[in-house]
Amino acid sequence: MGNSFVKDAEFLKRQQDANTRLQEKYLVLPLGEGRKLELDKLDEPIFWAKSADDAVMLVKSFKVDPNFKIDFLSDITAYDNTDKKDGPKRFVLVYQLYSTTTQVRIRIKTLIDLNEEANTLVGEWDGANWLEREIFDLYGIKFKGHPNLRRIMMDERFTGHPLRKEYPMKQREPFSDNVRLHLGAHSLPGQK
Amino acid sequence: MSKDGSAFVFPALLQEVVKWARKSSLWPMPFGTSCCGIEMMSTLSSTYDLSRFGAEVVRFSPRQADMLIVAGTITTKMGPVLRTIYDQMLEPKWVIAMGACSSSGGIFDTYSVLQGIDEIMPVDVYVPGCPPIPEGLIHSIIHLQKIIDGDMQRRPAEKPTHEDAMNAMNYRKNVDISEIQSSYVVTKDGVAPNAFTKRS
Repeated sequence: MGNSFVKDAEFLKRQQDANTRLQEKYLVLPLGEGRKLELDKLDEPIFWAKSADDAVMLVKSFKVDPNFKIDFLSDITAYDNTDKKDGPKRFVLVYQLYSTTTQVRIRIKTLIDLNEEANTLVGEWDGANWLEREIFDLYGIKFKGHPNLRRIMMDERFTGHPLRKEYPMKQREPFSDNVRLHLGAHSLPGQK
Repeated sequence: MSKDGSAFVFPALLQEVVKWARKSSLWPMPFGTSCCGIEMMSTLSSTYDLSRFGAEVVRFSPRQADMLIVAGTITTKMGPVLRTIYDQMLEPKWVIAMGACSSSGGIFDTYSVLQGIDEIMPVDVYVPGCPPIPEGLIHSIIHLQKIIDGDMQRRPAEKPTHEDAMNAMNYRKNVDISEIQSSYVVTKDGVAPNAFTKRS
């Protein structure tokens, strides 16, 4: 794959240890009910949390778990689950965690519906601030306890959430100070 | 000018002097938002040396600039900012739309991108390319100098219809020519008027 990091035997062992740890600590009943562990093509773990609250709780407990040494929040993102391929709810929220010491990645996914709100991670990682604003802007998922939940990419007057599948791709919104001028409607310098 | 204030220079000649001064000192206001900006930097620096045409004094204040070079994708959110910069520039002022994105939106036919800066301001010269080579930008500045000189009249731009644009893009050689609605068709030999379209 495109990674510059070479997956030597030592790394594979660390990753295996992380997967085992996930199995043994976080999937045991009764707490692990509704959770699921999948491995992707690179044998990296995808941990399905049972709810958005559970996902945030997992992120916080992975951060303090000495076996993982997670110290970096790579990304928070989401995708539209309109075809219900991954479950009955509308969106899937994805947390990407990374350890800079062991190079092991953990991906946490959870289903979230239109009327649900996720807990914010700003108290844990300051970098979550803008990532959560981006998700709010493009998907309309709200985060409870976020200090500044405003649009970050689109104009503040923009309506709608453009990465939802029902949003028409070419629907643009010109704003009031975005004056529409056409060539030929105004006399130009040098024109007689 | 003599000491008592009477003029020695004929007004007609002064007009020529003003034109010459304007066209040989086109100070650009750069507005590089993406890869076209890199080509613009290359054009301004020593290899291509835009100062040969009197356009090397890059002014980052619109009050001191004569020519706005818009190089890159302009989003709808950036549109009002660009329009403000245009309004702040003093007359006479000229605009160059450099590259496909600022001319027409380019490949970004989406919810967030302005489909050409001519939606919000008049444009003097469009430079095609993605991004254009530095020679393309130099050519556009020479072209602009000709416009300022009055040698070349600026034609009012005619926006193509949707059918024209579709026809220009897909080179449909297999479609029966009578089915094409636009007034121009793309053939193997180039663009030709559509004989099947009835003109009123």
